[in-house]
Amino acid sequence: MVLNFNIEIEEKQDIPIVRVKGDIDIYTCPKLNKGMTEAIEGGHSSIVLDLEGIHYLDSTGLGIIAHTARTLSNKKGYVYIVCQQPQIRKIFSVSGLDKKNIRLFDTDSDVLSEIKG
Amino acid sequence: MKDKIYLKIPAKSEYVGVVRLAVSGIAARLDFSVEEIEDLKVAISEACTNSVQHAYEDGNGEIEITCFLSDKKLEITVKDEGTGFDVGVLGTQSQIEKSEERLGLGLGITFIKNLMDEATVHSVPGKSTEIHMVKSKK
Repeated sequence: MVLNFNIEIEEKQDIPIVRVKGDIDIYTCPKLNKGMTEAIEGGHSSIVLDLEGIHYLDSTGLGIIAHTARTLSNKKGYVYIVCQQPQIRKIFSVSGLDKKNIRLFDTDSDVLSEIKG
Repeated sequence: MKDKIYLKIPAKSEYVGVVRLAVSGIAARLDFSVEEIEDLKVAISEACTNSVQHAYEDGNGEIEITCFLSDKKLEITVKDEGTGFDVGVLGTQSQIEKSEERLGLGLGITFIKNLMDEATVHSVPGKSTEIHMVKSKK
């Protein structure tokens, strides 16, 4: 359990990258929602969510991610998740969200290469 | 013979992580694998989150968590004395849509059933909700 929850937002190749540290649960997910909303406020159609620094994720966090994905789907955009941890990937798999406009990658470099085409 | 560990928390979001940490410690004490402990952490959090979100309209109430420990399995019950609900709505389209309005997924109970070996939900509208779940060591 990591008590310090932290979000940093940067931009690369004109796509916002949201890096999260800590546990994402019912207590911290409003902060995740605020960070994701801020990141796409500038009119971006897609977003990178880097979850390599998190230790825990449940359906509350997935709800925020799904909400962002629904918003971006109107612009034919994607939520690109960066995550290598098997347990976090398992949560996406159980939810079925990895079949929508939410795509999982191992590193943010992989995402940027994909976008660059 | 089973050992019993009992926790009681205010039904507030800031205490869900405390229960998650406690159950993680209990599971480690029983030599569950890392993957099994991660499953237990999600299941207990989802159960407590359900009570925090739905049980008490005024936000004041408590959640009771009881863990029964044995050599081969961990049984957990999560109980609140809140508004309760009709268990029949679980998994229906209207329930999922209502959850989405609150930025949720409506998948908390689904997660519990997927990650635990046994899971049952018993709820009496206007009185209480109890989630009972079991994880056995592989």
